[in-house]
Amino acid sequence: MGEVKFFFGPNHPGMHGNFSVHMYVEGDTVVRAKPVPGFLHRGFEKLMERRLWYQNLALVPRICVPEPDINEMCYAMGIEKLAGVEVPERAQWIRMIILELARIANHFMSFAGIGGPLGLYTGPFWGVADRDKILDIFESLTGARIYHMYIVPGGVRKDMPPKIQDMILKTLEYIESRLDDYDNIIFKNRIVHTRLKGIALLDRNTALEMGVTGIGIRATGVPYDIRKIDPYLFYDKVEFEVPVATEGDAYSRLRLKFLEIPQSIKIIKQALEKMPEGKVNVPISEGNALRFRVPKGQVYVHVEATRGEYGYFIVSDGGEKPYRVTIRGASYPQTLYGIEKYLPGTRIEDVPIWLDTMGICSPEVDR
Amino acid sequence: MTSSMNNALEKVKNAIKNVKIIEIDEREAKIEVESENTLPVLSILKGEGYFHLSLLTAVDWMEKNEFELIYILYSWNDGGKFIVSTKIDREKAEFVTVMHMWPVARFYERELHEFFGIKFAGNNDMKPLFLENWDDIPPLRKDFDPLEYSKKKFPEREYQKDIIHEAKIIRGDING
Repeated sequence: MGEVKFFFGPNHPGMHGNFSVHMYVEGDTVVRAKPVPGFLHRGFEKLMERRLWYQNLALVPRICVPEPDINEMCYAMGIEKLAGVEVPERAQWIRMIILELARIANHFMSFAGIGGPLGLYTGPFWGVADRDKILDIFESLTGARIYHMYIVPGGVRKDMPPKIQDMILKTLEYIESRLDDYDNIIFKNRIVHTRLKGIALLDRNTALEMGVTGIGIRATGVPYDIRKIDPYLFYDKVEFEVPVATEGDAYSRLRLKFLEIPQSIKIIKQALEKMPEGKVNVPISEGNALRFRVPKGQVYVHVEATRGEYGYFIVSDGGEKPYRVTIRGASYPQTLYGIEKYLPGTRIEDVPIWLDTMGICSPEVDR
Repeated sequence: MTSSMNNALEKVKNAIKNVKIIEIDEREAKIEVESENTLPVLSILKGEGYFHLSLLTAVDWMEKNEFELIYILYSWNDGGKFIVSTKIDREKAEFVTVMHMWPVARFYERELHEFFGIKFAGNNDMKPLFLENWDDIPPLRKDFDPLEYSKKKFPEREYQKDIIHEAKIIRGDING
């Protein structure tokens, strides 16, 4: 049988954003695959060089659409490291709460993402609806649902009122009560078992060679998590576990996302308890906030996003604007190298499952 | 710095002269090396547990007429990271590939070729990755001016008066 060329995307229900794969198939098995990124290239790195340090705050969340807060965190952390600013304790706890809420929201979103390739649409509807409850918290706290621009260099923009603490606790309680339902509808479902178990396998050595981070590598039995190994904020002062699986298949990757939700809830509850009263931000430099200058230097900061290591390399020449900013998208290795090297051999209907459970996110790759 | 970072640095210092080490904080250090020593330094660090290539990028220092290549290596054992930096000539922007050590570097190098015009010997795949029909100098170089480019590429158009007039009628501002 001859080789046929197939196109995946640029629009596909299982993808966050526009991304295309050119597949050459024989029968229904992929022989060769070529990633075609660039549909969402918006030139962020160049734009940031031409804007003031503070102006960029409105720009950075737009880089990764499903999980914008990690961008603000990385950018703020980099500037603080360059400027040598000590962030107030309360602000650090608030940041942690925001990041973990965003993690839960993103995991719910990924239950929605897997619905398309599986043809199982109950989990997705629930996932999106429950994610909305977290977006409600963000709206009350920051005024925005998706792009918050709340974590700023030197702290957070505004203090968290006690009313919102109650709201968070109430929502967490609700999410906890829903977890059993999710377990029943998704993870005890015959369709999910048949379609995900043993599919889209990635073994440990391959994952290490590829440079895969996050859930992709934790599903192969390696407990790599930046929150544990290189703790930022106060992740070393809270108790939580990093769920690990050994199978390395699509099911275990989806399962790990589910198991991370109770851990995030645990972190948020501890943060709300341990949070002291006090200031929530300090200026990073003297004078007008828009005209802040950041001392000369280079720094690389990274955080654990839902998809893996998300990093910013920031260069300052001491001026009012960044000299150079590079963004390391968490899914960069598996999106570009992974598709070309490890998609061949997969059946056509398993391609969206591979892409979705590997956490491929095109906006952060294109930038 | 952590003890494994110190050990790795000792090994680097023993093997190669002319390395400049800048300590950024307790888990981060920058190593500046000359271009011919870069690959040996990278392979020593890789053998010492810094096997994860977090990022490969470049910085354009236009005034000094050089590109700074940045390799960020990360150790999952103790969370230490090294920023290995080397400088190459801006006019003759060429370097060697690290594909044999980190296969994923192929795409980072392809990206650097597209955005900075840096060629990597040994990496033959230099097709554009993100940009389509690009017809100017590589866009992340400092002498590229996006404003000028967009003015040239998308010339300003004068709106015809009757269109505005029509729009005002539709909006109900004036009576037609």
